[in-house]
Amino acid sequence: MTVSKTGRKLNWSGQAPLITLVVLCVVTALLTSRFLSPLNLTNILVQSSIMAVIAMGMTFVIVGGGFDLSVGSTVAFSGCIAGMAMLKFGIFAGVVAGIAAGVAVGLANGLVVAMLRVNPFIATLGSMVLVRGVVYIITGGAPVSGEDGLPSAFIAFGNSRLFGVHYLVWVPALLLVALSALLYLTPYGRRIYATGGNKEAAYLSGVAVDSVIASTYVWCGALAGIAGVMLAARLQSGQPTAGEFYELTAIAAVVLGGASLQGGEGTLYKSVIGVFIMIVLGNSLNLLNVDSYWQRVAVGAVIIAAAAADRLRSRA
Amino acid sequence: MSKSLLKFRPLALATALLLPASFLLPAFPAHTEDKVTIGVSLPQDDNPFYIGMLKGIRARATELGWDVATVSSNEDKLKQINGVQDLVAKGVKGILISPIDAVGVNAAYDAAAAAKIPIVSLARGSTSPNQTIHVAMDEVQVGRDIAEWTAKKLDGKGKIAMIMGPSGAPTFRNVAQGYNEVMTKYPLIQIVFKTDGPLTRERGLKNAEDALVANPDLNAIYAANDDLALGAMQAVLAANKGGQTFVTGMNGVPPALRAVKDGNVAMTVELNPVIWGRLGVDVLAAYLKGDKLEPRVFIKHVIIDSSNVDEALAKMAPPKS
Repeated sequence: MTVSKTGRKLNWSGQAPLITLVVLCVVTALLTSRFLSPLNLTNILVQSSIMAVIAMGMTFVIVGGGFDLSVGSTVAFSGCIAGMAMLKFGIFAGVVAGIAAGVAVGLANGLVVAMLRVNPFIATLGSMVLVRGVVYIITGGAPVSGEDGLPSAFIAFGNSRLFGVHYLVWVPALLLVALSALLYLTPYGRRIYATGGNKEAAYLSGVAVDSVIASTYVWCGALAGIAGVMLAARLQSGQPTAGEFYELTAIAAVVLGGASLQGGEGTLYKSVIGVFIMIVLGNSLNLLNVDSYWQRVAVGAVIIAAAAADRLRSRA
Repeated sequence: MSKSLLKFRPLALATALLLPASFLLPAFPAHTEDKVTIGVSLPQDDNPFYIGMLKGIRARATELGWDVATVSSNEDKLKQINGVQDLVAKGVKGILISPIDAVGVNAAYDAAAAAKIPIVSLARGSTSPNQTIHVAMDEVQVGRDIAEWTAKKLDGKGKIAMIMGPSGAPTFRNVAQGYNEVMTKYPLIQIVFKTDGPLTRERGLKNAEDALVANPDLNAIYAANDDLALGAMQAVLAANKGGQTFVTGMNGVPPALRAVKDGNVAMTVELNPVIWGRLGVDVLAAYLKGDKLEPRVFIKHVIIDSSNVDEALAKMAPPKS
C-alpha cells in the first residue's frame, strides 16, 4: 500500500486480505453454527495472539527489505530464558530476561545482515539453527518448569482475562496501536519504508540505511521475545522444542496480509489479518472435521494462492 | 474496460485465496448432531504408532456408533492446545489425547475441564489435575518382565550393556528402574555398560559397537526401544557375535518382530497401539456411563520371542477386506 492511494474515497484496492477473512468466516459460519459461538470466537483470538506478535515483528523486517527465519528458535530461546530467570529471580526478572534474549538475537541478526552484508536468508537460517542449539544446551533438552512449576501468577497471565478479554490478546492489541504509530507517524517509520522500497534512493537521500535495516531485526527479535514469554505462560513451561516452523507461518501471514517480499510494502494490521486467516482456516477445518492430511493440503494451497496474489498485484 | 476490471481485482484475489478451500468440501463427512462425537488429539499423524492408535479408536468408536473428530498437532504443543479448544468449541462428548508433553499442554486439559468434558490421556500422561483418566502401560512392570526374561536366558549369569532412552523421559526411566530392580536379585549378572540418549537406530548401532569393543565377552544388550535394538543388532551381526550376545527391545514394531522371527533380536515387548486406541474408547465409554474408574488404567503388554512371534506377525498383516 502506498500513501498516494489512501486519498481515494472508497479504496477497495489492497483489501484482499480482509475480504478473504470475511468470506472465510461467512462460509464457515454457514457450514457450522459452532463457529460464531462466543467460546470459539474467544478461542480464535487467543490462538492468534502469539502468532500476531511474531508476525508484527516479521512485518518490520520484510518492510525493510529483509527476511528472518530465526523467529521460531528465538521464541523457544526467550521462553526458556524467561522460565529459568523466573524460577530464580521472580516473574518480573523472567519477563525482562526473556524479552532481552529476543533483542539479543535480533541485534546479532541485524549486525550480520547490515554490517557484514550476509544475505538475510542465509544469516537468519544460520541463527535459526545456532539459537536452537543454544536452547538445547542451556536446558539440556528438557522443559523448564522447575520442581513446582512456574510461578502461578505467570501461568494465570496465560489463561485469565482483563475486562473479559484474555491478557494474551491485550498484548498484540496494544502493540498494534503503539507500533502502528511508530511505523506510520514517525520519520523513523518512513525511513524503514524508504529503505525497503529502494535502498539506493534512501541512501542517497541521507537515510542511514544500515542502521535502519539492523533496527528492523532488533524489533523482530524483541517481538519474538515477547511472543516467547507469552508462549511460556500458555505452555506453563519453557519448551526447548517450541516454535518450530513458526517462522514460516509468520512469513506466510505477512504475505497473506499483502506485504511484498521485495520490501517497502506491508501494513501491521493487515499482517494481523493474515494471522487471523491462517488461524481461522485451521479452526474452521477442525470444526468441520476435515482430515488432518487434507488440512496440510489446504494450508499449503492458501499460502501458494497468497503468493500468487502478491505477484498479480505487483504486476498491475 | 481495464478500469472496471481493476475494480473487481480485490474480489478476484479473495476468490483465488478461497478456491483451494472449496475443493475440500467433498472431504467433509456428513454431520448428524444427535450422534455422540468424541475428539482425538495425538502428537503426530504420520507416525506408525499413532496411526495404529487412531485406527483402533476409529474401529471401536464405529462399533459403538460414535463419530470421531480428529485434530492434528505435529508435535507442536500450542497447536495441540488450540486443537483441543476447537474440539471443546465443537461440543464433543469426550476427548482422547496423547499429550506431547507432561506439562506443556495442560491448558488443553483446563479447556476441556472448563466445559466439563472428560479428557482421557492415552500412552503419554499429563501432570494436570484435570486429567480424567490415564490409559498407560505399566512401565516398571514392563522393565521387570524384560529383566526376568533376560536373566532366565542367561541362566542368572553374564554381562549386560544397557542402551537406555532419553534421560528426561519418565517412561524410559521407569522401565529401566524395573529392569534394574530385578537384576539386583542376580548377583552373577553384571551391568558393565550404560548410556542414555535419543531413541535412534544410529545411536543403537554406535553404542552397541562401543559396548562390544569395551566388553568382548558381552552376553546381552538391553535396548530401551526397538529402534535402538535394531541398531544394536546390526553391531552384533557386524562383529560376528550373534552366537554370544543377544539383544532385547521394546514396542513390537513390525521390523523388530521380523528381526525376532529371524533370530537377530531375541525379544521385544508388544504394546499394540491399535489395542491401546480401542481401550481408550472403552475407558471413555465406561466413564460417560458413570462407572467408577481408577485414575490410571493399564494396557496389557505381551513379551514376544521366538515362541510366539509368528502369532504377533500374523496380527500385523493387513486385515483382509
